[in-house]
Amino acid sequence: MNTIETAKLEEHMEGQNNDTSNGYSRPTLSVSEENKNGTSKPKGLSNGLRKTTKKYPDYIQIAMPAESRNKFPLEWWKTGIAFVYALFNLILTTVMITVVHERVPPKELSPPLPDKFFDYIDRVKWAFSVSEINGMILVGLWIFQWLFLRYKSIVGRRFFFIIGTLYLYRCITMYVTTLPVPGMHFQCAPKLNGDSQAKVQRILRLISGGGLSITGSHILCGDFLFSGHTVVLTLIYLFIKEYSPRHFWWYHLICWLMSAAGIICILVAHEHYTVDVIIAYYITTRLFWWYHSMANEKTLKVSSQTNFLSRAWWYPIFYFFEKNVQGSVPCSFSWPISWPPGCFKSSCKKYSRVQKTGEDNEKST
Amino acid sequence: LPVEMKEVVLWSPEEVTNWLTENAVPEYCEPLKSFTGQDLINLTEEDFKKTPLSRVSSDSGQRLLHMIETLKMAHHMEAHKNGHVNGHIRVGNAARENGCSSKTKLNGMPNGYKKEMIKIPMPEPERSQYPMEWGKTFLAFIYALSCFIFTTVTISVVHERVPPKEVQPPLPDAFFDRFDRVQWAFSICEINGMILVGLWFVQWLLLKYKSIIGRRFFCIVGTLYLYRCITMYVTTLPVPGMHFKCSPKLFGDWESHLRRIMKLIAGGGLSITGSHHMCGDYLYSGHTVILTLTYLFIKEYSPRRLWWYHWLCWALSMVGMFCILLAHDHYTVDVVVAYYITTRLFWWYHTMANQQV
Repeated sequence: MNTIETAKLEEHMEGQNNDTSNGYSRPTLSVSEENKNGTSKPKGLSNGLRKTTKKYPDYIQIAMPAESRNKFPLEWWKTGIAFVYALFNLILTTVMITVVHERVPPKELSPPLPDKFFDYIDRVKWAFSVSEINGMILVGLWIFQWLFLRYKSIVGRRFFFIIGTLYLYRCITMYVTTLPVPGMHFQCAPKLNGDSQAKVQRILRLISGGGLSITGSHILCGDFLFSGHTVVLTLIYLFIKEYSPRHFWWYHLICWLMSAAGIICILVAHEHYTVDVIIAYYITTRLFWWYHSMANEKTLKVSSQTNFLSRAWWYPIFYFFEKNVQGSVPCSFSWPISWPPGCFKSSCKKYSRVQKTGEDNEKST
Repeated sequence: LPVEMKEVVLWSPEEVTNWLTENAVPEYCEPLKSFTGQDLINLTEEDFKKTPLSRVSSDSGQRLLHMIETLKMAHHMEAHKNGHVNGHIRVGNAARENGCSSKTKLNGMPNGYKKEMIKIPMPEPERSQYPMEWGKTFLAFIYALSCFIFTTVTISVVHERVPPKEVQPPLPDAFFDRFDRVQWAFSICEINGMILVGLWFVQWLLLKYKSIIGRRFFCIVGTLYLYRCITMYVTTLPVPGMHFKCSPKLFGDWESHLRRIMKLIAGGGLSITGSHHMCGDYLYSGHTVILTLTYLFIKEYSPRRLWWYHWLCWALSMVGMFCILLAHDHYTVDVVVAYYITTRLFWWYHTMANQQV
């Protein structure tokens, strides 16, 4: 009986599909009165079902929330906004570094602060290059992985937002108090004292080099609290681990080793104080976990009396980005070079309920 | 279907026939054509064993009986009202079960119902939802105490490594550039801190679930001081102002170290009590931690409608933090980082405690 029912429904749906608009509410019958559900969006089901309910009045219609709406809408424009936010913060950081550079006390006047790590381990000159190379490899791996993700836009949005916020925090801590250089080996560029054009040139040079010493763009001092290199190393590792399959343990291990080695090399090279690295690690991990807890749990997504996580200042921005994402983003991959995936998927949505859930189960790993 | 709206017991045979047709059992129309609504209700299994009903269908009337049951349910049969206990499922003739009765709240004992009752065990709240568990609170207190002592020891150690202010002048600070030092500001900060701690203590005494909240407070404050130990120890910041008078360094004189530690603990780490002459504990600010944390706890564990009380405490807290900076007693980054870590830890802990995810 059930299969006959379903077949009949399909028939009716095909017939009715072109003349029913989205959100057509079902005609109410005495039996199905209690099933009137505002959230369901039946597409052309009404006529077919009316016939069946008349024939089998003791059947009770349970309104299923229609799966026709995408659980993970791509919304590339939101990713665009997040990208602009991250870019803005990056540029702000660069400007801030240039400003702070003017205030760094010369190392003759203000010698490096005592640091526990520096007391035990002497400086190794090439260690910072190791750290930066590790960082570049990790960023490359992450971009490669990101290209293969199915829900690129959602993950990309999260990445841009988190890194933007971290760099914003970094602006604040860099600016308010200026630490002296951590080692006498530092060659800081001469101070400009009001030469705005040269400052702009420096800013552009810093941005184009990505803030790395290897590219020769990072000749400015003063951006010590907290360490941007640590932020990038930690964050990329967290993202790589979160958005790759669980059984790739060797991949996770390699990335973790690279990240940890990179962070230790920063200290070994005496390029940052230990407290810079520790605070950077703490803030990065906390922000990542906070954001993802809120994004994955339905109860934590809404602002309520018991949900303290929503008291962060960036909660409205978070809600704007994540409100249409229903649940945890599944770890699924697809070929990067494809026509906008939405196109192909939605054209096959006119299946019956049984077939559609089957297809969804296949696709999500 | 309007015919269902009228009471079943009042149905005429014609209405019964209509009902049978509507419900797709027209085969019963003929044998039951003289049945009124009351007769319909009184149908039992035995009737289906005799002719003519036994010839109609092969399931010995199960389906029709089931439909009659549903009909009776829909009309809240008065006849059986005194026979139901809350939460009982009526296991009717063979295959019938309907959970309808669990929704209706009827009381009484069953009469003449030779059915088997299935009892659904309701979880009894044997334990209180909020057990006191003072043992855990005591453990938390020990934890906080050890973190305090550890902090004091660390301050004492770090003091030895602070570079003298002649060698290492105070670092450039955005706030210090704009605001000159005010001498009495730090006393205000400490007085505010003491008032807030006092208020929080009184409030805590009046709370019903003292042990649970006390446990939380000790846990959080202990962890914050532990983090503070780490950041203080790894990198030593120079004194924030030339007005600082740091005690002379001891260079390994353990007895004096111990005495200093005792003095610091006894004075609660406050300058007002004259116990805090040691330098080096700048990143991050312990005063900010206490001011922020007591305010958060006061606000969280007091009634919502005491808004004036919350505002007062917030003002005390804010003024205290501002005064720390005004007195040039901490760098701005110390206060910012302390505020950030305190609020995050507090919200994180309470979200995990309050949410059932």
